Amino acid sequence: MKRFAAILMALWLILSLVGCGGNTRSHDPDGPIELIIWHDKEAVVADTLQAELDRLQPDIVVHLERKSGLTEALKLVGNDPSAAPDFYFFAHDKVGLYSEMGILVPITEFLNEDDLAGFLPMTISAATYKGQIYQLPIYFETLLFMYNRALMGDDEVPGTTEELYAFMASGAGGRYGFIEQHSTAYFSAGWIHGFGGMIISEDGVPLLDTPETIAALEYRLKFVRRMPGESEYATVNTLFREGRAAATIGGPWLVPTVRESGIDLGLAPMPFVDATGLYLAPFSGVQGLHVLRVAAEDPIRRPAIYEVLRLVLEPTLGVAMAQASGSAPALAASYEFEEVKNDEMVMLMREIAEEAVPMPNIPEMDIMWLVVGDLLVDVNMRGRDVTEATADAQSRAESLIRAMR
Amino acid sequence: MNKRKYSVLSAWLCVLPALLFIGVAVLFPILYTGYISLTNMNIFNWFTFQIIGFRNYINALFVFDSGFLSALGTTVLWTALNMVFQLVIAFVMASLLNIKKLRFRKLYKTLLMFPWAMPGYVSILLWRNGMFNSQFGLLNQWLERLGHEPVRWLASDVSAFLSSMVVNLWLALPFMIMIMDGALQSVDKSYYESAKLDGASWFTCATKLTIPAIRPIIAPAVIITLFTTFKQFDVIFLLTRQPGARTGANIHTVLTFAHENAFVTHNYGFSSAVAMILFFLLIAFSLAVNIRTRRAVR
Amino acid sequence: MKKSVERIGLGCLHIFFLLICFGVLIPIFYAFSVSLNAQNSILGSDFSFIPREFTLSNYYAVLFDQPVLLWLRNTVILAVASVCLSMLVAIPGAYSLSRLRFRGRKKIVYGLILLHSFPAILSMFAMFRLLTPLGLINTRLGLIIVYVGTMSIFGLLNLKGYFDSIPIDIEEAAQIDGTSGFQTVMLILIPLAKPAIIVTGMMVLIFVWNEYIFAITFMTGAGNYTLAAGLFSLQATEMSGSWPVFAAAAITVSLPILIIFFATQRFMVSGLTAGGVKG
Repeated sequence: MKRFAAILMALWLILSLVGCGGNTRSHDPDGPIELIIWHDKEAVVADTLQAELDRLQPDIVVHLERKSGLTEALKLVGNDPSAAPDFYFFAHDKVGLYSEMGILVPITEFLNEDDLAGFLPMTISAATYKGQIYQLPIYFETLLFMYNRALMGDDEVPGTTEELYAFMASGAGGRYGFIEQHSTAYFSAGWIHGFGGMIISEDGVPLLDTPETIAALEYRLKFVRRMPGESEYATVNTLFREGRAAATIGGPWLVPTVRESGIDLGLAPMPFVDATGLYLAPFSGVQGLHVLRVAAEDPIRRPAIYEVLRLVLEPTLGVAMAQASGSAPALAASYEFEEVKNDEMVMLMREIAEEAVPMPNIPEMDIMWLVVGDLLVDVNMRGRDVTEATADAQSRAESLIRAMR
Repeated sequence: MNKRKYSVLSAWLCVLPALLFIGVAVLFPILYTGYISLTNMNIFNWFTFQIIGFRNYINALFVFDSGFLSALGTTVLWTALNMVFQLVIAFVMASLLNIKKLRFRKLYKTLLMFPWAMPGYVSILLWRNGMFNSQFGLLNQWLERLGHEPVRWLASDVSAFLSSMVVNLWLALPFMIMIMDGALQSVDKSYYESAKLDGASWFTCATKLTIPAIRPIIAPAVIITLFTTFKQFDVIFLLTRQPGARTGANIHTVLTFAHENAFVTHNYGFSSAVAMILFFLLIAFSLAVNIRTRRAVR
Repeated sequence: MKKSVERIGLGCLHIFFLLICFGVLIPIFYAFSVSLNAQNSILGSDFSFIPREFTLSNYYAVLFDQPVLLWLRNTVILAVASVCLSMLVAIPGAYSLSRLRFRGRKKIVYGLILLHSFPAILSMFAMFRLLTPLGLINTRLGLIIVYVGTMSIFGLLNLKGYFDSIPIDIEEAAQIDGTSGFQTVMLILIPLAKPAIIVTGMMVLIFVWNEYIFAITFMTGAGNYTLAAGLFSLQATEMSGSWPVFAAAAITVSLPILIIFFATQRFMVSGLTAGGVKG
């Protein structure tokens, strides 16, 4: 057995040496420079970006590749010159993770402060990790309050959470007055923020057992009891689309399918919490381009990367995106265009974004998504005592964060 | 070169290619996982990791608290119940399929094999959304039509465990029925004739004749299934634990537990240590199984 | 009198089997009728097995809006290569483990069983780190090596069992007649082991066809996906809104396997179980 292992070991060595030769991506000196962007977006978004980037042809050809499990894949191949992409197009919340891993370069390596001055401040601060900016924002999105006009009149739209509850309890909205994905962290953060709480502090300390978080979870229970037990995407959206729920909180990505099913959709600002006077402040996600280190260090691709980034600095891209997918542009200049000004949803999203909290971008947040999800299941579905459950979740989060190092 | 040496050499030459592939794809990754488990490879030392000894194992044992023990218990229960049900149901079905004058048995067998041919995750998602969903699932639509309240199949631990088991049986039974069917067909029919003359009942025939006769035949397949059941991940994970689609039940097998408590930390040294501990557990489990089956077979 | 009792018994048995088969097939009927249904939501509130509005548009969407034909091509290439290669290494390997006596043989068999019990997801990261320096990430070859390595274990164990069940006298007789060792294997042993070889190949095929975790992790870019991987990545996003398309895709993917499956079914039973006859 030992000898066998030795033979294997030797073979591996030989194979590795042979394999190492062709490790970098090859360039055809006469042809165009080819760049690859990984993303996980719907086809409309990708097509819009692709159309803009095609303006760089024939010198630079950019391929947008849809990659499922993008975040996992980047962890695995992020530093492998033969398999890593040049950019990835994703929300800002992974920049902490990847910059700690050393697979990203700050975009300030390519652009200076003046270039970035035109962005809405929220988008730049979302992309900043440990003082460096790792993402060039394109657009952002937050959750919106949506209602079915056939079931909830414009004058019935609740201004406060108590009004919302009264509407749910009155039974006026049909089977369900209001539904949301109540047991997922992303959809619950708004409630915690509405009570002045936070999921995790900026320096990575979980804040699950604070009075604010406990109050938020306890208050929300009465809403959850009037919602269906399942809280996953398909169930909640189908109920709303089929007109069996009067209102929901959902992302802009929901709007096209809802309109397709013939629902007269109304959009409204978030209600505020009676007890605190704060709005339900959902997470916001800033979507943009990130440059990988292996690509930035390649002298041939570096100038091409610069050209791509310059293109994103033009306000027309944000306008095209807003028209295609209803997202809110990250560049202030994009809002000067009539197309954007007249779009009710985009303007509403910009308004909500004033209150919204950018998703934390520290690596520790990955643990919080899981732990908070489990905490919500404990409280909302399993009927555990909130104080007890939050204390457990807090210590679990702390121990998992310790295990990261 | 003498003949003996030559034959040993050719024997090794014959197995070597297969072992090489297995080495590259299975053995080496396991060994390398063992190596990583001794380092501090995590996102903060992605390129600068170094060997830190057994610290990860100590941390892993620290995280493997009561949660892990109950997951281990669930896994053992899961394996045991699934195996018992599989064997019993498959035996009964195969026996019925082998009743002498039954016509259309080929048709029945063919239909019963269908679940095997679909990709597993597709079937599981079909079950979750099509059958068990409390709002739209077929089961609840039928219940409602009969005037019952809808049931949330995946919400409580016990009913989610049973639902997962139903799905797992649905996925695994076709293979087992086929194995049993084949084994039954290989049993010499003349035994039964003489037993019948002695006035033995069906039950005595089954326990005294059939089961001892088919035991060595089905043993390899049963052992393979035993391990597949033990390391089953998809069914419980996709039915109840998918992020964003938790159903309320809180059941863990050792694999889902390791997945959620180690792999989420992005600390590969730590999660590799967890993986190695699971591997040692599996070795212990297989040693136990091996001794028992050897006894059973011989 | 006795005849009619028997007939009633058989009748009950038929009813029993019909019920069981129907029960087992419900999820598949369900997927099938959803895929043919023109109304766009499966999570519709009143479902019937016979679609109210019949349509083939979901199948059309699967075949022409998605690169399914490209994925099919990738899958077929991978499947054929993996099946051939794993048979090529597993048959001589199993023969050697079954017929030839050498030191370490029993240890190898036991080691194989152990390796088979290890869940591959746990060593996925290490596998990735090892394949990267070989330049095998994002290549079909890398995936084929992984598939062949994983399934060779099953192949070796299953085929060895079957070879064990073939009486050695047959070969010895042939060798007395002057046939060489190689010829005996090719002309006598392999034809005798045909059911086991077909079934083992079939199991490798099903594995490669339905495998998605390795395919998604090791292949970057949707152009390289296999059917299962492509379907999985669609399911995670666009199709979550469109279950009928997902159902149609699921049926489409399963269909080729079903056909091959039933074509080889008569070998299945003997191929998997005869291996155990001699223990």
